[in-house]
Amino acid sequence: MLILGRVVATELKPSTPHQFHFWTARDATLGIGTIVRVEGDNRTVYGVVMEGFAYADLARPLDAVIGADGDPANVASEPTLRPEIRLWSAAVLRQLPEEPMQPVPFGGVTLASDADVRIALRMDSYVREDASTGIPVGVYAAGGLSAPVLLDADFLLGPEAAHLNITGVSGLATKTSAVTFLLSSIFQTFPAGKGTVAAVCFNVKGPDLCFLDQPTTLGEDDRALWHRLGLRATPFADVTVFAPYKPDGVNLNTLRSNAALQANVAPLVWGLREVLDYAEVVLNRDDVDAKADALIDFLAERVVGKRFEATELRGAAFEVQSFADLDEFFLAIFQFLEANSRGAEVWRTHHVATIRKIRNRLGNIATRSKGLVTDAGAANDLPWGAFRDRSITVVDVAGVDPLAQDLVFARVISKLREHLERRDLGVDHIVVFVDELNKYAAADGPDTYVKKMLLDLSERGRYLGLVLFSAQQFRSQVLRRVTGNAGTTVYGRMDSDELAMPAYATLSPAVKAKLAALPKGELMLRHPHFTQPIFVRFPRPASLSGREGVERFPPAADLPFAEAVVARLKSLDAAIPADGVRTAIAGRPEAEVRRALSATAQRRPDDVLAFFRGCLRTTIPATSVEPRRGIAPLARDDDDPFAPY
Amino acid sequence: MPPSPFTSLRRRLALAGGRPSDAPAEAAQGRRGDAGYRPAQLLELPLAYHALGSAVAWEEDVAFLDGTQHVELVGYLGTAPVIAAVVRAGVRLRRARRLTASVTAVRRIVIARPETLAQLDPLLESHEAVATDADDPPHPIRDLERANAVVDRVRGDLEIRVAQQFRAGDGPATWLIIDGSLSASPDWASDSRMLGVVKSHASLPFEGAELERYLTLPVGHRSSVFAPQSSRVAPVYAWGLRLREFAGKDLFHGLVRIEAAATDATLRSATLLSRHLLAERAPLANDARSDRLLYGIHDVERFLRAQGA
Repeated sequence: MLILGRVVATELKPSTPHQFHFWTARDATLGIGTIVRVEGDNRTVYGVVMEGFAYADLARPLDAVIGADGDPANVASEPTLRPEIRLWSAAVLRQLPEEPMQPVPFGGVTLASDADVRIALRMDSYVREDASTGIPVGVYAAGGLSAPVLLDADFLLGPEAAHLNITGVSGLATKTSAVTFLLSSIFQTFPAGKGTVAAVCFNVKGPDLCFLDQPTTLGEDDRALWHRLGLRATPFADVTVFAPYKPDGVNLNTLRSNAALQANVAPLVWGLREVLDYAEVVLNRDDVDAKADALIDFLAERVVGKRFEATELRGAAFEVQSFADLDEFFLAIFQFLEANSRGAEVWRTHHVATIRKIRNRLGNIATRSKGLVTDAGAANDLPWGAFRDRSITVVDVAGVDPLAQDLVFARVISKLREHLERRDLGVDHIVVFVDELNKYAAADGPDTYVKKMLLDLSERGRYLGLVLFSAQQFRSQVLRRVTGNAGTTVYGRMDSDELAMPAYATLSPAVKAKLAALPKGELMLRHPHFTQPIFVRFPRPASLSGREGVERFPPAADLPFAEAVVARLKSLDAAIPADGVRTAIAGRPEAEVRRALSATAQRRPDDVLAFFRGCLRTTIPATSVEPRRGIAPLARDDDDPFAPY
Repeated sequence: MPPSPFTSLRRRLALAGGRPSDAPAEAAQGRRGDAGYRPAQLLELPLAYHALGSAVAWEEDVAFLDGTQHVELVGYLGTAPVIAAVVRAGVRLRRARRLTASVTAVRRIVIARPETLAQLDPLLESHEAVATDADDPPHPIRDLERANAVVDRVRGDLEIRVAQQFRAGDGPATWLIIDGSLSASPDWASDSRMLGVVKSHASLPFEGAELERYLTLPVGHRSSVFAPQSSRVAPVYAWGLRLREFAGKDLFHGLVRIEAAATDATLRSATLLSRHLLAERAPLANDARSDRLLYGIHDVERFLRAQGA
């Protein structure tokens, strides 16, 4: 192996067991992040270059001025070039033997080979021929050499450690691309003996994650990178996109609305029952007092979805199934309190102000989350209990109100947790990808339900197989306990202001400078097995990016109600005659049609049109009714003083 | 302060019944010269200032030669001093503005009176024994001065050797610039492609008004060429050259004596050679003597010191 440099140590810059310095020729092919190997004194040391220095034999800058007679141009004509040093500081990755730990010897420095990288990053402990738990994450490249870098599945998806957090500036698609590629790598290499794995990705911005099942065209370099990592460059085979409706209740609120891609797009629709369990999400901190909590519990346990008798309110029992039913129930209480109870302010221990507040908040959900929350019809939810191995479920909430986004996060993650606790989700491990952690788990700001839930997930999820892949622009502004629990941390190109935060004090100025200018497709990694951060290149994902997807599959324009219904039914059965659908829904209330459409979409019957028609109410033809015959009025008799007229 | 390279030698001296000492030897300061006048013969009459114009860098390869000596008094055997020295010499060749080592040589020596060396001989290991004159009775101070003179001589010999090796190898016709006088060697003195740059002015070529004229040479000028009346082995031609402005500083600031082969060609090319040497002022050497020290010479010296003792 070509000797690239030589370790040097002085009293001011000594070698230590964790750091050393070496010099190289001026044109040596190494830089910040390069992994090197030092041999000497029967010891092999692997290190990663963290800082570089260059200087000449100039004692003072003024000497250069004097030497050049004050003219910088003269320097170019100086007959002798000053000798320069390229001095590098490297952090020790590993020493062999590991004990006793000693200062780095003054040996020759060479570039690390493939095998060296494997040893330096301790990958030899989990990347084995017989039982490998390695998950390729990228290629380490330096000086013409390249070596695959693998993460340990036990430390990425549990149980040893878990979670991944990625930081980077917006707009380079690095975060989304990195997570997409890593999911692909996990699906292809997650050891069979470790169980099954699936992913739930929340799409919170534009079309980012809407086309994961669509292949893209990769360049030669990217294909070579996929090949170098031992992976197939193919898009995800099993993807389902869930999106709420728009407020019209028939057009889906997603940019994946092109007619050609509707086979695996499903509506995400929840009813009152689904929402009420997570009412806390949509109530602010001041709302959730003991009285409000008690009323919500009362509604959930006694009223919603049950037959509730309250003869003081009305004779017939309440059957609250929808927000409209619930509102009717509340109105009955108010009417009772105002009219029948002569101004009393308490109904069954609940104060009227509390009831009004809860009515107002819950009603707000139905208004602001219209499209997600249905007032009628069946709910359509994620496939709880039927998650498939290596499947991706995209929950597209990019276009919905932040309140509804919070509700979706809370409910989906809570349900995942519940099912994983019962081991009946359908898979053993689930990766949840949440972007914009700055928004959902901000370090400052109120303690929201979503924040608490993300914290719980990051602190306890790995025992359940519930793994959080999170991303944000500013790591320093995310709740430290959330990012701190991520076993694997990834950095893309960083904002220099962000890098100036104390959280990055451990990084050398050169590493920060590199991070601030990191090209697309390169990342810096921290992983429990790596004692120092490592730079890797990863290939472009084999799926269409959001921007490409929108260009290739332009979103369909919102259709008029009737046409939207036709389109939705045609996505279930392309042979359905459009006219038949139009005739069936003509003149019917939209709510009724939506209910029938929802039921059909959920059931997916063989005869779609017949089932749909069956869900519509029977039409009773109008009949003319003759005026009822009554007693004829008395004839007017003006002369009769006792006549009523 | 770096550790002495002669620690084990001192230990062995103690084992042999000697008295180790750790005083630096006077010779560590480098070669000395006796202050005085050595009247020179002017070859360009009268003694005048010759303006050089702008500096002109050599475009061809140029080599630089220098030597170093690390000398220590390691102790006494009885009252006889024992001196140890590491003497190095080297030539660095400049090609495409970069200097690289061409020839290097080293001698590790122990200097003492013959009878002292005889006692020490089994202990010298890798050191070469060099005896001082022993015609008169031992005298610690005089013996020490003689030992220092031996170091100077060894260094001179080593420099001559590396110059020969350079001429026989990398640079048969390359300009070779040495730190010091050419008159140390007949080969050097007759080499038409060698220049000596003498920083020391202990020995001055003029007296009186001529001396004043010589020592007030303006920057960017050379003096008339003269022939020093050297006591050494070979005649050379020489001239003064002011590399840097001395106004407000010392009279000797930036003043060097250039020596070249005693030929008519030297007389014709003294101005051009001076312009080349003016160009060698840059870059500025990181050295206390930077007003007179050419960077190339400084580079050789630093290279030799970096080899360690």
